[in-house]
Amino acid sequence: MTATSAWPRAWRVARITPLGELSTPPRLTATAIRLAVQIFLRVALWRGLYATTTTSAGLSRSQTVTFVVLATLSARVRVMDRYVGRDAVVQHLQFGTIAYWYLRPIEARKYHAIRALGDQLYGLGWMIVGYVICRLVGVLDGPASPTAAVAFGASALAGQLVFYRISLLTDLACFWTLRNNGAVMVVNMAQNLLAGIYAPLWFFPQWFRTMAAILPFQYTLNSPLSLYIGRIPAADGLRVIGVQLGWLAGLTILTRWLWTRVPARLTVQGG
Amino acid sequence: MASQPAATSIEHAKRVDRLLGQPPWRRFLRAWWLGLRIVKVTLRSQAEYRGEFITTILTGIVWQSSIIVFATVILTRFSGMGHWRSGDVLLIAAVRMLGHGLYVLAFGRVPFDVFNLIQEGSMTGFLLRPMPVYRQVQLSKFPTNAIGDLAVAIFLLIAAMTRSTVHWTLPNIAYLICAVLGGMFVISAISTALSSAAMHYPATGYWSSWTHELIETFGAYPLSILPRAVGGLLTFGLPLAFISYLPVGVLAGHSHQLGVPKWLAVASPLVGLLLFVASRLQWNRSLRRFAGVNG
Repeated sequence: MTATSAWPRAWRVARITPLGELSTPPRLTATAIRLAVQIFLRVALWRGLYATTTTSAGLSRSQTVTFVVLATLSARVRVMDRYVGRDAVVQHLQFGTIAYWYLRPIEARKYHAIRALGDQLYGLGWMIVGYVICRLVGVLDGPASPTAAVAFGASALAGQLVFYRISLLTDLACFWTLRNNGAVMVVNMAQNLLAGIYAPLWFFPQWFRTMAAILPFQYTLNSPLSLYIGRIPAADGLRVIGVQLGWLAGLTILTRWLWTRVPARLTVQGG
Repeated sequence: MASQPAATSIEHAKRVDRLLGQPPWRRFLRAWWLGLRIVKVTLRSQAEYRGEFITTILTGIVWQSSIIVFATVILTRFSGMGHWRSGDVLLIAAVRMLGHGLYVLAFGRVPFDVFNLIQEGSMTGFLLRPMPVYRQVQLSKFPTNAIGDLAVAIFLLIAAMTRSTVHWTLPNIAYLICAVLGGMFVISAISTALSSAAMHYPATGYWSSWTHELIETFGAYPLSILPRAVGGLLTFGLPLAFISYLPVGVLAGHSHQLGVPKWLAVASPLVGLLLFVASRLQWNRSLRRFAGVNG
């Protein structure tokens, strides 16, 4: 495959989700309303909790609200509804259409990665629009400093790549177990709790944070957002990014190895 | 069926006649017996995928535990949530969780499995069988995750009851049981209503996960910490307050600050039952107008 033919092909794969979403206005409206209500309610909850105190777990009210709003917006980048388009790996395995992944002029591994890239870039669009609106209405503070902004950007990118590798693991597990609904849900819940989507990990007891530190989840969101609000000093940014890159390298090696094992495990059901 | 031999058709018709001639209690028992046989089969089919079976049980445990951890963290860090004692806030979370566990056990195939059944065309097949469609939907899959949900919920309820300020007299315990059942009915009513909408609007699935997320996130706290208008919306718009906030408020002596008349708060379990009946009637109505998908 030449480089000139590979790029248009990759572009066509990456834009499947955005095109699907943009061609269904009710889904766009639903996403906008859902995000707005979610942010409004979470801001109301945390402002209500801070009604009797100014600082908790080393976080001021505005830092916490900024963290929570950014976490809600980031969740948009992460979760794309592949199920409705019957394009989840578990569905392909169930319906037998997984066979097409191995008949196309693009490797299954690359197809999966490019599809995910398209999903996440589309989600990023929503995040940027949400960020600008939230800044304009005053529920979101800016980064703690210009250095913090740079550290956040680099750390958020690394975190998103780690997140992709974790999600990929659950998809790959499907080739062995045939079903992965339970595994996906367990990982999503662990992700929500341990990455700080429910609440910044700073509120949790020490034993919990120690446990979270030895798992990859907090590096996907809690660490980048802590750099943004200044709870982790920008000077520690390089250390955080180093740990993220370590996780990324480990997970990449593992998932690449699993991809090589998949063809031997592939079961095409249905017909 | 055209290809069915005439003798078999006659035999089948005789069996149906015999069944219809039986007293209602026998028909009721037969329906339950048949339902339990189907449950046994669906349990076996779920257990066939052992890894998935275990992770699905784990899902319930991890999900409910994560809510407990989050609620505990909030209660530890921020005392006096909306002027409620922490034990009473835990009781709100526990009643919601147990109500949710029972909903998953009894009615949990609405709304999420209904979307798949409609999309795959199975609902159309259900219309042809001699069993109520709602029951077929509920029997279509064994609720494996309810095992984990219920285990954690019972644990949390016992813990919350020991920490709560409520005196556990017999009437209070009886009201607590009604509250849990009422919570189950409210969640089931919301899910059934969403499933009814899904028969006509496929995009309903997108809203359903969000609605359940709202229930799980905001159903575990006193709504008094939210602005009054938001609390009103979560009471009369989405009836989330009736799941556990209002009945636990009655038990814990907060009747005067719940944002609704006391009689309405006390009647929460009954409201749950009425909402469920209304949602079932709506389901029947939607089913009559259901045109199916996939041709």
